[in-house]
Amino acid sequence: MPLLLEVKDLVAGYGRGPAILEETHLAVEPGKVQCLIGPNGAGKSTLLRAVSGLLPPRSGEIWFKGKRIDGLPPHAVLQLGICFIPQERGLFPRMSVRENLRMGGFILRDRTELDRRIDDVLQQFPVLRERTSQRAGSLSGGEQQMLSMARTLILRPELIMLDEPSLGLAPKVVRQMYDIIHILKERGMSILLVEQNAVVGLSNADWGCVLDLGKTLFEGPACEILADPRIQELYLGKAQTAA
Amino acid sequence: MATALLQVSILGLALGGVYALMASGLTLIFGVMRIVNLAHPIFIICGAFVAYWLFRLYGIDPIVAMPIAAALLFAIGIVVYKLIFQRDAQNPKYSEMTVLLTFGVALVFDGLLAYWFSNTQRVTLPSYATDAIFIDDIFIPTAQLYAGLVSLVVIAALWAFLQFTRTGYAIRATTQNRSAAQLMGVDVAHVSLITFGIGLALAGAAGALVSFVFSFFPAKHWEWIAILMSLIVLGGMGKLLGAVVGAFLLSLIAAYVGYFAGQTWSTLTFFLALFIILLIRPQGLFGEKLEET
Repeated sequence: MPLLLEVKDLVAGYGRGPAILEETHLAVEPGKVQCLIGPNGAGKSTLLRAVSGLLPPRSGEIWFKGKRIDGLPPHAVLQLGICFIPQERGLFPRMSVRENLRMGGFILRDRTELDRRIDDVLQQFPVLRERTSQRAGSLSGGEQQMLSMARTLILRPELIMLDEPSLGLAPKVVRQMYDIIHILKERGMSILLVEQNAVVGLSNADWGCVLDLGKTLFEGPACEILADPRIQELYLGKAQTAA
Repeated sequence: MATALLQVSILGLALGGVYALMASGLTLIFGVMRIVNLAHPIFIICGAFVAYWLFRLYGIDPIVAMPIAAALLFAIGIVVYKLIFQRDAQNPKYSEMTVLLTFGVALVFDGLLAYWFSNTQRVTLPSYATDAIFIDDIFIPTAQLYAGLVSLVVIAALWAFLQFTRTGYAIRATTQNRSAAQLMGVDVAHVSLITFGIGLALAGAAGALVSFVFSFFPAKHWEWIAILMSLIVLGGMGKLLGAVVGAFLLSLIAAYVGYFAGQTWSTLTFFLALFIILLIRPQGLFGEKLEET
């Protein structure tokens, strides 16, 4: 099966600072949920930012559906079908829920089509439907996460990248969110997510990838990574403290 | 006494509208680009000169000349932004750098205007400039009344533009969360350019009105920058509504100070307000702490 997203030998960093990513590899198959794990500072968020076009890589290649996309600006990447939800969720706090959804379809120029898609999405998120005129900044953390996911769906992307989607959310809300992720997967979308909570992330994913110090250490089926004793010790927080 | 207070309030409110328009472009540019445009008032004076000369040479009413001044300043804004501000937009110290840059721009335009037109006091004098409307014992100078009302119309138009147009959405989104705006497909470099143009167009429009409300000369902008800064700091920097409320509030207070303590003290209101706001509530009335950009 051809790959949806492929990252080869990616090197990236901020400003004139040191490289955060060195020779990073990544492959996402269509219709799969892939989870990136690794310790703080491993470069997980940087990798997503590089793919989204927010951070132009220094070298290496990024391919999406057989097209090379590294160095493209964010709006061009979006146009191709990749949506990115950053860690702070990327909402516009002083805009209403509906205005935020409109921003989700900013690149659609057809206003009636946009309104139709917004109604579509609101059907799927009843929590948001009751709050369309409320300011996004006044929503709860869970509602904000729902809004950022709903907003992504306006464009019907093929790949959704989520950076730490469960950060700061109650366990119940995290479960709801992963339910949505599974629904999206059933509809044929691919998901690339970064999780600090590796157990939660991997147990909801098909494929896993371990990143450390900007390098891809290991990739494989999520269940294998979960079971691998070395990975468990290093990254899943099951290390036995030295007696 | 009651009549006198009402009189002072009316004069303060009429000027408040003009101040609000003067400050609107400044707060818009800060919101989108985090540029503290110290050159904003000199561009207001540019607009005033456009209206002044159009009136002197061709007898064009300054209110009619307002769109011309706005269009001209929009063009100047596009050129200045492309030449000076665009190339460093990625620099993490952009805000700090642009304080010096805009200071330099202010000096250059100040020097050019003084060289061409000298630093003599001028005022545009359309027929209504020296007129007043009387209601019982209250008098309202028509110049201030017209300028205040036209300012409110322009601000309302700006608000509608920001609220309902695609470009308006892009500007607001960029103000609130720059990187998220990028992720939505907004070309923030283009939005910055357009916003700088609009900001200067607002300065030009304000200048045309100012030209028959205050007497002006090129070096006057040094006094205005502090006044305008105090207005937008009070309202919360980058917020249009904040700038409008700040303008009316301070203009009203300044009018009272002028009435009770004498006109010389009136300007001091703005400086004093700036100090007090920065001490007590630096994010302003409507401001949250500045978001990461």
